[in-house]
Amino acid sequence: MKSFTYNDMDFSLESAGGRWDIACKKPDGKSAYVGAGLFAGLPESEVEAKARALVKAIFPVGIRSVGPDVAHPTLIGDLKIVGPDVTHPNFIYWDKDSSSFATD
Amino acid sequence: MEIKGSVAVITGGGNGIGEAVAKYFIRNGAKVAIVDMVQKNIDRVLADIKAMGGEAIGVQANVSSEAETAKFYQAAIAAFGQINVVVCCAGIIRDSTLLALDKETGKVSRKMGLDKWQPVIDVNLTGTFLTIRDGAEAMVNGGWTGLLVTISSVNKVGQVGQLNYSSAKVSAALLPKIVVGEFLMRGIRNIRCIGIAPGYTATPMLTGMNQDALKAILADVHLGRLVDPDEIARLIGHAVENEAINATTLEITGGLCYPGGIAK
Repeated sequence: MKSFTYNDMDFSLESAGGRWDIACKKPDGKSAYVGAGLFAGLPESEVEAKARALVKAIFPVGIRSVGPDVAHPTLIGDLKIVGPDVTHPNFIYWDKDSSSFATD
Repeated sequence: MEIKGSVAVITGGGNGIGEAVAKYFIRNGAKVAIVDMVQKNIDRVLADIKAMGGEAIGVQANVSSEAETAKFYQAAIAAFGQINVVVCCAGIIRDSTLLALDKETGKVSRKMGLDKWQPVIDVNLTGTFLTIRDGAEAMVNGGWTGLLVTISSVNKVGQVGQLNYSSAKVSAALLPKIVVGEFLMRGIRNIRCIGIAPGYTATPMLTGMNQDALKAILADVHLGRLVDPDEIARLIGHAVENEAINATTLEITGGLCYPGGIAK
C-alpha cells in the first residue's frame, strides 16, 4: 500500500490484482472512495503520479475567498452588512493552483 | 459505438437510475465516473463496482455549479483519458401546486415559493444544460465519438403538483433535438444526443411509498409493475450501440395510460 498527502488530505493507494484503489481519509477518520480498479497495466512507478493528478482534479486547490458569515450579518448601528454567500454553488472562486504550490 | 472500452460520466450515479446505468456500463466493459452529491452513495456504488471487478472513480459535485461540472469532467479525463457517454441522471423533486386556497375563504393561502421552484430548475434543468454543454465541449475538443443522454420523464406532458419538475423535464426532452440540430449546423458529426423519458420506476423513492398509493399508480400501467432501473439502463446501452437513435426522446413507461386506457 502507498500513501500520500495532498492539500492536507491523506490518500491511500492499494493494489489488488494489478489494479489500484484510491481512498481518502475523512476528518472523522472514516475512509471515502476516490476510485476503484484503476490504472490497469500501468507500471507501479507511475501509479502515484497518476493518482496525484486525479486527486488534484477532484479536489482542486486554490485561494478560496472567505466572506463574512451570511447567517449572522454584521450590524453597524442600523446598517446591516450581508456578505457574499460563499457556500452558494455558483459562487465563483479561484481554483487554479498558486505558483507557490509544487507543480507535480 | 461499443460500450466495451468506452468511458461514461453519470451524474446522479449514486443511486436509483444513475446507479443502475453505472453498473450496466461496468458489466459491459466500460469505465465509469460516478458523480453525486452524497459521498456515502458514491462509496457504496464504488464498493459494488470494485466487487464486480470494474474500473470507476467517484466525484462529489453539484451539477448546478459550473466550477464543479468542470471539475468532474477534468477528473474523468485525468483518470481515463477520454469521455464517450454522458448520462444526466441527477435530479430532485420539490412537489407543490402553484396555489393553495383556504377552504373557508376561498382566498389564496399559499403559493409555490422559490424554495420549491429554484432548486428543481437548478438541478434538473441548469444541471442538465451544464453537463451536456461541457460534455459536448470535451468530446469535440478531444475528437471522441460520443453520446449525450438527458433524463426526462413521462411527466413532461404536464403533471399537476409538479410545475417545477415538469417544466424542467419537458426541456430535457426537447434539448436533444436542438443540440443535434446545432451539431449539424456546426459540422459536429461525432456526437449524438438523445433523451430518455422513464415512467414510474422502481427507485427507492417509489418502492418505499404507501403501498395503496403505489397500487393506484400501477392500475394505469399496462405492464402491471414499475419499470426496473436496469431496464432503463439497457435502453441507454442499446442507444449507445445503435447510432441511428439520435435527436429524439424515448419513453420507457411499461405502457403508462391515462385512466380509461389512452396511452400517456
